[in-house]
Amino acid sequence: MGLFNSTILEVAIGVIFIYLLLSILCTAANEWVAAITRRRGEMLRQGIRQLLENQPTRGEADTEAFLREFYNHPLITSMMHDKNHPTYLSPRTFAAVVTDLFTAAKPGVVAFDDLEAGGKELPEGNVKKSVLALVQRSSRDLEAAQVAIEGWFNDAMDRVNGWYKRRTQLWTIMIALALTLVANADTIHIVRQLGTDPVLRAAVVEEAKVRAQKPRPTISVEYKDEDDPTNPTVTRNEGNQLSEKELNLLGQLLGWHDNDNVSKDKAGKDWKRLWLERIIGWLLTILALSLGAPFWFDMLNKVMNIRFAGKSPDEASKKPDKQDAKLRA
Amino acid sequence: MYPLKRFHICLLLVWLIASPLTAHADITVALTKGFVKKYKDKATIPTTFEVDKHHNTPNPIGGGSDDGDVHIAGRDTVVKLPMVAEIINGKRESDTFNFLKQMSAGQSVPMVGVWRLWFEHPGSEDQVQGDPVALPADTNPDHIFEFHPVAKFANFDCLDSFVPIADQSNEFRGYPADKAFGSYEQRPGTITATDNAIMIMSNQARYNYAEFEMRLTGKPKEVADGYIVLANVFNAGAPPSADPLTEQPRRMIFVKGSPPADKIATMVKGDKLHVLGIPRVNLNEVYAIVSGFQGHDEYSAGGLPYEMIIVALLKD
Repeated sequence: MGLFNSTILEVAIGVIFIYLLLSILCTAANEWVAAITRRRGEMLRQGIRQLLENQPTRGEADTEAFLREFYNHPLITSMMHDKNHPTYLSPRTFAAVVTDLFTAAKPGVVAFDDLEAGGKELPEGNVKKSVLALVQRSSRDLEAAQVAIEGWFNDAMDRVNGWYKRRTQLWTIMIALALTLVANADTIHIVRQLGTDPVLRAAVVEEAKVRAQKPRPTISVEYKDEDDPTNPTVTRNEGNQLSEKELNLLGQLLGWHDNDNVSKDKAGKDWKRLWLERIIGWLLTILALSLGAPFWFDMLNKVMNIRFAGKSPDEASKKPDKQDAKLRA
Repeated sequence: MYPLKRFHICLLLVWLIASPLTAHADITVALTKGFVKKYKDKATIPTTFEVDKHHNTPNPIGGGSDDGDVHIAGRDTVVKLPMVAEIINGKRESDTFNFLKQMSAGQSVPMVGVWRLWFEHPGSEDQVQGDPVALPADTNPDHIFEFHPVAKFANFDCLDSFVPIADQSNEFRGYPADKAFGSYEQRPGTITATDNAIMIMSNQARYNYAEFEMRLTGKPKEVADGYIVLANVFNAGAPPSADPLTEQPRRMIFVKGSPPADKIATMVKGDKLHVLGIPRVNLNEVYAIVSGFQGHDEYSAGGLPYEMIIVALLKD
């Protein structure tokens, strides 16, 4: 028997299928957490704070006065929904508000001299120093000065995006870790179960076949009004939802109920090895979940094609659009 | 069927771990969001193009890569990426070509070209909009962006080049639709974004030109410099009952003033056209995807969004 005998392949299909289902759950949880924690808005708030704190104003001596005035500006308050920080702020808006706060004492149309004079009148602070340093290299042109302020903001946003990306990656790993531990999703144990229980394996493979026919778990883009090809609609497709059968299979393969060999074998000498295996199994699952649902969907289809190439009646009866369905959802 | 042995479990685990690592390396192009927003529904970009290297004769006309194009490697002031400009039907555009041959390296001209992002010659390095662009060593440096076809070069209008690519003895037809679109529909694409930039990752693409029949599923929409219409794609001469080759209608881009655009302006839903086209990344879809990001800032499973630039009407 070679590596690609049916048992091996069916177990591989089963493991990939379980990874796919867990990845879909992981994605949903991550989005939920992002929405609850308003992660992006909070990152943006921190970035703006770094730029604008430590600056008193003419009327107030405390170091957060300028930051407070920034957030009280109508251009910013209009972007707040239910007091939540906006998730995006354009560089132009940022520069416009900073310029306006610098030239607050000057009514009407402002010029470069007003911006510079307004800055010099501010009490000593970080914003004063930064903005005056920036505008001095703008050939005394207001437009160029605003572009320089926009550049200052953009540089800060690059840092914010770096934080955000790292934070999102960290959350992904944490959610994968939590899900793996809560569900006791131990890859080695799953492989063993599938390898030794042909009934369960057959049920999993059957459900994996159904899953492979579904759209990829992704965003889909459609032009709903076919007379307007400039206005697409983006939606999450049905590939992101788990069926009742899939949830039942997860329930059979995962969990802390009947597979706790560690405690059973504690009396024996192998309990250390069993714990080690379990930890390795968890780590494998966490690594797998960090790759995301689309990756495992593709992998499932590849392995299904190997397993059922030219053999499965289901495969033979598939409509030609199956390939499309898996490629674009 | 038999239970798994330890050796098999090990092999299976090794394979499961190794399979993600064997995924091929992709190339990323990073664009500013402002650029994407500005040009996502435009056919062309006007720019100032600095000519560095150019063909001394147009490509021959025949099959495969013998597409009759004139390649010009250079740098520009708007897009700011490694790029080439391609004049189609190079032999036909003799005035433009003669002018080009007289230009010295480093000379700049105003140019209007159909923008095209496509991973045809991506090379091995990521490309970032705004990064300094190295002087190209030949007429076809690594590039993801190109102006293709050129619509206006200096004072020479090239819109009359948007016709079948042919000389006295040969006609270039492009790849059959089923082959080309089979590949376009499977292009991998990962899209990520920051507040100010959009990154598109993919790998090398094939089948540059495609010959196909498009059947309009909506009416053409006029934009500033052209027309955009949604259409299903079929093999040339496919029967009315044939299934489309794409999962959903694709955007078709026409450049205002070109013969294909003059034709599409008169057409309605249900009409069909036999055309020669080249694919480009659909920045309208890319922008919509990025705008729809929630929590996760990555889109990777829907393939590379693309649309077709229509360069010529073909006879049935």
